[in-house]
Amino acid sequence: MDDLTQTFIQESSELLTQMEDALLALESAPEDPELLNSLFRSMHTIKGAAGIFGFDPVVEFTHPIESVLDQVRSGERVLDEALAELLLQCKDHTAYLVEQVTGGAEIDPETEAKGRALIAQLTGQRVASAPVEGSEQGAPPPAPSAEQESTPPAGGSLWLITLQFGRDAFRNGMDPASFISYLGNLGEIVDLIVQLDHLPDADNFDPESCYLGFAILFSSGASQQEIQSVFQFAEDDCTLRIVPQAEIEAAFMASRDQLPAEHAQRLGKMLQAAGPKAADRVPGRAPGKQQGARPGASHESSLIRVDSARLGQLINLVGELVISNAAIKLRVEEQGLAELNELVETSEHLVEEIRDNALQLRMVQIGDTFSRFRRVVRDVSRELGKEIELVITGGETELDKTVVEKMTDPLTHLVRNSLDHGIEMPQDRIKAGKPPCGTLSLDACHDSGHIVIRIQDDGAGLDAEKIRRKAEALGLITPDQVMSDKEVYQLIFAPGLSTKEKASNLSGRGVGMDVVKRSIEALRGNIEIDSEPAVGTTVTIHLPLTLAIIDGFMVGARGERYVIPLSMVEECVEMDSSQWQLDEARRYVNLRGEVMPYLYLSEFLQIPEADQRARRESLVVVRIGQHKAGFVVDTLYGELQTVIKPLGSLFNGFRGISGSTVLGSGEVALILDVQGLIQAATAQMQLH
Amino acid sequence: MTQQQELGELAGQYLTFMAGNELFAIDILRVNEIIEVDTMTRVPRAPEFIRGVINLRGGVVPVVDLAARLGAGITELTRRSCIILVGVPHAGREQIVGLLVDEVREIIDIGPADLRPPPDLGGYADTGFIQAMAQVGQMFIILLHVAEILTHHEINQASAVAERLSGEADQAEPIQ
Repeated sequence: MDDLTQTFIQESSELLTQMEDALLALESAPEDPELLNSLFRSMHTIKGAAGIFGFDPVVEFTHPIESVLDQVRSGERVLDEALAELLLQCKDHTAYLVEQVTGGAEIDPETEAKGRALIAQLTGQRVASAPVEGSEQGAPPPAPSAEQESTPPAGGSLWLITLQFGRDAFRNGMDPASFISYLGNLGEIVDLIVQLDHLPDADNFDPESCYLGFAILFSSGASQQEIQSVFQFAEDDCTLRIVPQAEIEAAFMASRDQLPAEHAQRLGKMLQAAGPKAADRVPGRAPGKQQGARPGASHESSLIRVDSARLGQLINLVGELVISNAAIKLRVEEQGLAELNELVETSEHLVEEIRDNALQLRMVQIGDTFSRFRRVVRDVSRELGKEIELVITGGETELDKTVVEKMTDPLTHLVRNSLDHGIEMPQDRIKAGKPPCGTLSLDACHDSGHIVIRIQDDGAGLDAEKIRRKAEALGLITPDQVMSDKEVYQLIFAPGLSTKEKASNLSGRGVGMDVVKRSIEALRGNIEIDSEPAVGTTVTIHLPLTLAIIDGFMVGARGERYVIPLSMVEECVEMDSSQWQLDEARRYVNLRGEVMPYLYLSEFLQIPEADQRARRESLVVVRIGQHKAGFVVDTLYGELQTVIKPLGSLFNGFRGISGSTVLGSGEVALILDVQGLIQAATAQMQLH
Repeated sequence: MTQQQELGELAGQYLTFMAGNELFAIDILRVNEIIEVDTMTRVPRAPEFIRGVINLRGGVVPVVDLAARLGAGITELTRRSCIILVGVPHAGREQIVGLLVDEVREIIDIGPADLRPPPDLGGYADTGFIQAMAQVGQMFIILLHVAEILTHHEINQASAVAERLSGEADQAEPIQ
């Protein structure tokens, strides 16, 4: 598949997503002109692009949709629920068609029939709701937009299109002939003159430049805008003038003097041969106006598409740069080269900035992922006969693209769970004294170097008794085990546990939650669930912002060195029993009124005894979400930039260690898994 | 394919080395490089035969103590200790693993006629790591089955450690 087709696929999928977003957003704001425009534009652009690539099935299918959307946009047709539903189906079908044609597959009759059925439904409705079939020819649209101020004359009217391609048209991959042949799809090309007045003499002729100009006499029922859209992709590479029948003569008269005599004559002949004697109308439409700037085009042009592999490589290199800079710093300190200190500091500062910028490149807003669920919520709630509203907050929160990608499936699962199990049927909700419409909220925010994603529903909540019974039946717990409700809720992450009596096609097979938990833990994140009967359920996910480089804090225990992600370190205090209230037996410390468990790092990591015990021990307080714990270490080395290296599949599942990093000295230091350590410390405290 | 034919396929060049007072050989094509022992970082609570991890030009590579892995005790580090880096298929990908050995000897040619099947010790000993035996002069050399060095058995053992770790961590939540 060539690059261009690839671009087409990518663009269509983006446009279709845009279309879906617009459709869903229109449900709450049906009159929003910006949304209606965006709806039209997306279908329109797909059609145009498909036309250029010659993907006829897509063009055929999208053309009637575009017409319907045009009517919707001009206010001739109301976008009601049924139409929105139909358009969503059309969107899905278009996506399928794009996939098929770009894969080189023939469209099978079944698909074709489905497409025709959709179109018949669309246009059938059109006749019903807008009986004046010819309305686009006559009646002025209620809300004329700038582009539409010249309502096209009756079908089959003549247009004079003058088209002058720019010098760089060939270099930019434009093929003038393909535009003209595509124009043929909209109507009939009555006559065409190739204008070569820009052609230089042979000495100055550059074979790679384009000097072509065309004057086309075109007969079509299409609107001016439709004609203009044919050339949309060459917008930047050509000067386009589309003159309606009524103005042809005037325009010709006005421009005759500027044209070389030969051309003027030929053009005159062409017009005469076609024989339109149009009524006088005021000419003088500014050519600039015809260019109808695409809204949002300026925004698009400020973005650059970059292969993510290249970004990955850049970040790897920055990682190496960080390590080698740390090595230089170490040497300079060792050798006591005071005069180099400042230079090293400067370069360290720069490297830090480069690192932050490079990582920023991979950051995407989570909002796009969130809004994908609008469709899920809509479809599922319809299927189940529930009323559910999706509330999204914090969509602008950014996190690493890799993390976002890996979060899509777990999030989908959690959302579906909430829709299926969480939120009750409207009548049950009314009985429970709640509004019939349930609310599912997706929320994201940053918290101490982590991103926190919350999925909250106001449904029935988890049934602790039911989960208990099921867990007992599965042998996960014993009947005499004493557990708090919160502990019972965590059981739903155990494999094989689903309390739904009957598996639906959405959820309830009990294969999901453990997979969700595992995929989140694979990202060095964690997931918690909290629930209150009749009030709702909240699932909270903590994820690291990035998987590549972090600020680390190095500590030492019995001569071994370990790195803790700095963002998780709350504070470091001296381990001093005269200052803090310590319970040595039960291993907890009262730090300014806050009680938290602690553990000796050397014991937990089974570090062999060193010759002498450190004189001063320190307590490093770490926090994830609401969980805090302290680690007792011998030495605090301070901050360092840490490039996270995977420890290899051999060490998968080691709870105490989450990765490794290479120090400036070339040694490998291990990164502590704070999550696992906090859990261990908490467990140890409760054990005593 | 007869056993002798199968063995014949193993003929080729081999790197010989000492580990736990035994002479071993591995297929030279499996060997990426041989490096001196530098600082190794211990991995806490890992099985005994995982000696630690090293920095190999920016990548982090685990080092397996071959003698310890084969039950012949922990290798003492000497001036001649070496790490042989080999590619081992694991979890669908080739992972670079360092083998800590006492001493690297030489590269020898082993012909089809020199090869013998692994000894049958009647199930009393795990011979999975022996690919074949090769007779060189009066001596027998064990051709090491590199892929078997990190078999599922060992991974299970490693996971068991992980389990133990998480077990302790999860005593408050007695499921898992």
